[in-house]
Amino acid sequence: MHPHRSAQFLTCAILFASATIASQAQSAAPQMPATDLVIKNATVMTASHGTIQSGSVWIHAGKIAGVGATVSAPASAVVIDATGLWLTPGIIDPHSHSALDSDVNEATSPVTPSMHMVDAFDNRQSDLYYALAGGVTTELLLHGSANMIGGQAVVIKNKFGLDRDQMIFPNAPGSIKFASGENPKRVYGSRDQLPSTRMGNFEVMRMAFEDAKHYMADWDAYDAKVKKGDKDATAPKRDLKLEALADVLRGKLYVQIHCYRADEFLTEEAIAKEYGYKIRAFHHALEMYKVADKIAPTETAIATFSDWWGYKDEAWDAIPWNAVMSMRAGVRVALKSDSDDHIRRLYAEAGKMIHYGGATEDEAIRMITLNPAWIIGVDDQTGSLDVGKDADLVLWNRDPLSTYARAQKVWIDGDLFFDNSLPGLGTTHFHGVMHDGGGFGSDDQEDGQ
Amino acid sequence: MKLSMINQQAGCPWSLALGDQGMKLALALTLAIAPTLLAAQSTPIAITNGKLLTITHGTIENGTLILSNGKISAVGETGKVTIPSGATIVDAKGLTVYPGLIEPESNFGLTEISADDSNNDLVERSDEIMPHMHVYDAFHAETELIPVARLNGITNAVVAPASEDSISGQDIFIQLYGRDRDQMILGKDVALAMNFGGDQRRRGAHSSFPSTRMGLVTQLRQTFLDTQEYMHKQEADTKKGEKPKPDLKYEALIPYLKGERPVVLGVYEGYEVEVIMQLAQEFHLKVILNHLTHTQDVLDKIAAYHVPVIIGSIYDQPRAGERYDSVYTLPAELAKRGVKIAISSADAGGPVSSHSARNLPYAAGFAVAYGLPYDEALKAITLNVAEMFGFGDKLGSLDVGKTANVVLANGDPLDVRTDVKQVYIEGIAVPMTSRQTKLRDEYSK
Repeated sequence: MHPHRSAQFLTCAILFASATIASQAQSAAPQMPATDLVIKNATVMTASHGTIQSGSVWIHAGKIAGVGATVSAPASAVVIDATGLWLTPGIIDPHSHSALDSDVNEATSPVTPSMHMVDAFDNRQSDLYYALAGGVTTELLLHGSANMIGGQAVVIKNKFGLDRDQMIFPNAPGSIKFASGENPKRVYGSRDQLPSTRMGNFEVMRMAFEDAKHYMADWDAYDAKVKKGDKDATAPKRDLKLEALADVLRGKLYVQIHCYRADEFLTEEAIAKEYGYKIRAFHHALEMYKVADKIAPTETAIATFSDWWGYKDEAWDAIPWNAVMSMRAGVRVALKSDSDDHIRRLYAEAGKMIHYGGATEDEAIRMITLNPAWIIGVDDQTGSLDVGKDADLVLWNRDPLSTYARAQKVWIDGDLFFDNSLPGLGTTHFHGVMHDGGGFGSDDQEDGQ
Repeated sequence: MKLSMINQQAGCPWSLALGDQGMKLALALTLAIAPTLLAAQSTPIAITNGKLLTITHGTIENGTLILSNGKISAVGETGKVTIPSGATIVDAKGLTVYPGLIEPESNFGLTEISADDSNNDLVERSDEIMPHMHVYDAFHAETELIPVARLNGITNAVVAPASEDSISGQDIFIQLYGRDRDQMILGKDVALAMNFGGDQRRRGAHSSFPSTRMGLVTQLRQTFLDTQEYMHKQEADTKKGEKPKPDLKYEALIPYLKGERPVVLGVYEGYEVEVIMQLAQEFHLKVILNHLTHTQDVLDKIAAYHVPVIIGSIYDQPRAGERYDSVYTLPAELAKRGVKIAISSADAGGPVSSHSARNLPYAAGFAVAYGLPYDEALKAITLNVAEMFGFGDKLGSLDVGKTANVVLANGDPLDVRTDVKQVYIEGIAVPMTSRQTKLRDEYSK
């Protein structure tokens, strides 16, 4: 059971009230370029239907209006001759901590589901710019992994230079970050608090969901009374933490779980089944290759590193063939950064999958576009070059799966945000002072220590 | 595919000894026969029809390379090189052949699982001045990190202590294959690891010396002066026929103050380079500059020092407000100014971690993407490193007389898509396995 779209919209409306207002304001004064744009003669890697060797993409009103060997754009369209260049969908990072000014973990309790990452989002931080120059157009900004149940994510479009509210992905479903394994038990164990073991980790989750079930039942009873016309019904006290957990149980939030070990994937799936929610993706998931055949039927995806290993015990069995082996076993696989460094070169990380396991170019490109879009729940709007989707595109000087690729131009919703040929920063909308976010890097930093 | 040939090649006694359950027996047998070297190359190997990247004399599109007795004995165009009788022939048609890559800054054998301190021997933190720490005393030759890196064509490396001390110890130069540390360490105390910058101020906080850059420089200058005085006194005492008690700390510094061996000077910021180079010149140190990732404003000055430079990590973040490629372009900018460069695989930020040393060729590839000529990039991870650390006559190119450390790959070595098919070290076909390939194979069944 996937979360209902309408429910997601409702969640978003509540959580991102400011965003909703902003996107209304945006539609009143659109950022869209007025003219049509055609990029022709490029090697077009669509991510959904293969590569067109000498193809064109037509952009109209911020959307992709045509893709193919030729397109039927109006004569007035601006044309870019991209002979010798490559065109791909914008890269999507399903695991980033960009632009949060190190406010990644509310590591004061192992269960903090009512934290909203959007409240820490600073749209002028430099890591957004570096990611943009690496072709990243959409990011899922996640809570860290200090807590078993962390905060709720925000999805952004990397429209660097626009207002904060204009960077929030309109109508993206809500996601919540869970964690497991070494980080929570170390963070709380080092303070002599629960949890300090994996037993404690999972029991903390169960206790939280028992509370949430109770809370949900109270509200359901109240709603039933109101429905019957009982004017004396007393509403239960609203509790933001339990409300968020209830949203997990109601299937209103995508569950994104930081998890490394094979046994823990199985435990997480068992608990999800016990409480009736779905896991959207395991993040890191370095041991997925051991149990991919068992996870594939659950439809839980993974967002993994290409080749990181050995930085901690639960990364000791990591192998660079994990992504391709898991994919061959039927698991949907995305690559992610979890790093202000790797977010700048996810394209080359995808290229490594050709080396480690023999992914096809199509499969490799999907790992950084369409598959992460699915994990975030925006694959109907972006992540591939298909008619009707947002015009999020990157033009490259070389094959984007090679070491040598450099993004030449990056469009988001049809608007140009990065142009490598420009002097200075190469940004088209950014002016003023860039903030140094202090960066984020690797799982080790995200544990709140 | 040429793999069948390669697999045959890999079926030498050495690889069997490693890959087999009978490993212990094989080791015991070999121990009895050859106490210092487990297996030397016995049969010559002819690698034919390959694209040879020689480093010193260009690319040979269809070349042949002969490996005999652990050395390169011939290199040239196919047809013009005589294949010794009895040679094992490896048809490298469609493959690229190049010298083993050399990592200029690693911590191989000083760490295993980063977060687990019980197996970290990265740096002695009891004092800022620790020149008498010898990496060879801690080097764990059987580390799982080495086979992982080797699979991507890394055959040699410098192993250095971590950078938290002003002088953190002395490096070793290794080859990534051998029976034990004695066979793998090619050079002990090949360089002094010295550092200047923010990291080294940590212990001072505000309560103990040194807690500032002023303190760090003063402490270093005093140490070098004390060493000079020690040298003079030792010489005088020896002349008098006395046997003065050695001070290991000062003894360790002597070869470096005499300029006999290089000092690898790790520094990140432009103004810090200027400060510490002044001190280095005052004491006539033979400097290799290291890191330099935020020195864009003093590149001409760096060139004027006429010292080689290790650049790493080129993935370091630019400062907020700098153009996104300000660090990526450093190798190109320095090479353009005539600086001899090496590139290290160090991952961005933090201490160097050799878990990612297998990505060394890609770091060089990134430098190419940002303007470094391809041939310079290849040299920066082969011959230049060998030369900087005193192995230029033995390693780093496909030349007759050099050690037969050779890599066969299915394409451009600097491209992430390329798969290394076979690595030779001292003419031995190294088993293309690691703990990771074993896990892969176990779970692929």
